[in-house]
Amino acid sequence: TAGNRIFHFGHCRVSMSMTEIRLGFTAIKANIQARDPIRTLSILSHPHSLHKVKSSDGCCITHHLFNFYVDKVFKHCKTEDSFINRKISSIANSFLSMKRKLRQCHEQNKCMCEEESTEKFKQILANYEGLNVTSAAIKSLGELDILLDWME
Amino acid sequence: EDALLPTPQNISILSTNMKHFLSWSPVIVQGETVRYSVEFQGEYERDYANESWIPICECSLITATVCNITEDISATVAYNLRVRADVGTRRSEWGTMKGFFNRITTSLTPPLMKVIADGYHLLVELEDMGPAFQFCVLYWKKGQESRVQQKVVKEVSSVVHLDTMEAGPDYCVKAQTYVEAINRSSSFSQTQCVRAQGGTSMWL
Repeated sequence: TAGNRIFHFGHCRVSMSMTEIRLGFTAIKANIQARDPIRTLSILSHPHSLHKVKSSDGCCITHHLFNFYVDKVFKHCKTEDSFINRKISSIANSFLSMKRKLRQCHEQNKCMCEEESTEKFKQILANYEGLNVTSAAIKSLGELDILLDWME
Repeated sequence: EDALLPTPQNISILSTNMKHFLSWSPVIVQGETVRYSVEFQGEYERDYANESWIPICECSLITATVCNITEDISATVAYNLRVRADVGTRRSEWGTMKGFFNRITTSLTPPLMKVIADGYHLLVELEDMGPAFQFCVLYWKKGQESRVQQKVVKEVSSVVHLDTMEAGPDYCVKAQTYVEAINRSSSFSQTQCVRAQGGTSMWL
């Protein structure tokens, strides 16, 4: 079912449903990843996996990544395929919904950014800006399950 | 130059149990078949993607004046909807629904439910309302309303076993739906009561 879960990021507790995002992403994953010609690079996992981020830093990095996807990624992923575009819209609007929930923690200072997560996010941005914007956006979208797996 | 077609009017959404349908009044053009196209815009498109609109291909150049938009209203944010009419090369302006639609406002109806006494077993059959729905089932011995028991059903399988009954008293059941994505519940269904009867179903 559309399973809301309570996510614990250090002191930040947020109830979010990932199911619809997962469904949307699963429906387009193969298509999006097929559009990514650069196999030897990762935006989210280079040089270190997200799993190396301490759980206390989880809120900060999640907050940054939600903003990253909403501000930078989704808008550069428009395709010629209406079905794909509709699913990207679904994911993007769901991200907005979650971003709003996470903002509550941010406003309550439960989303502090330690140096490590700041560095990690800088690395992600560097990976992203190392490619042309469309390739970077498509690759980032194709790696969405890395973020979802790490969050869950 | 082709005269502009009238813009579709009375654009509204009927949303029940997380199924959302857009409808509008027909545009009348004597002797012609008018076709309609629908587009949606989520909060993301409004705030981050240059107010772009996304076509719903199942509702492109259709003759019906209703469109199932459930698949595209898949986040709990405010959506805009618009409709346009076409006849041959003639086209109308976009008619945009007044106000936004957020699925959090969907109306939730009590679930259809069938309570079965299978011998001494108290069973309930619940309507499959789709993946977004869970059920809260309350059951109690008639006369012992203070000792209500609750069962949350997340996946609707065919039949749900509630309890093993004693012979004699009536057992009563009612249920409501719960939608996690919008964190809302329906009202409760009508109460249904049954009684164990030596292995045969007994309705009251």
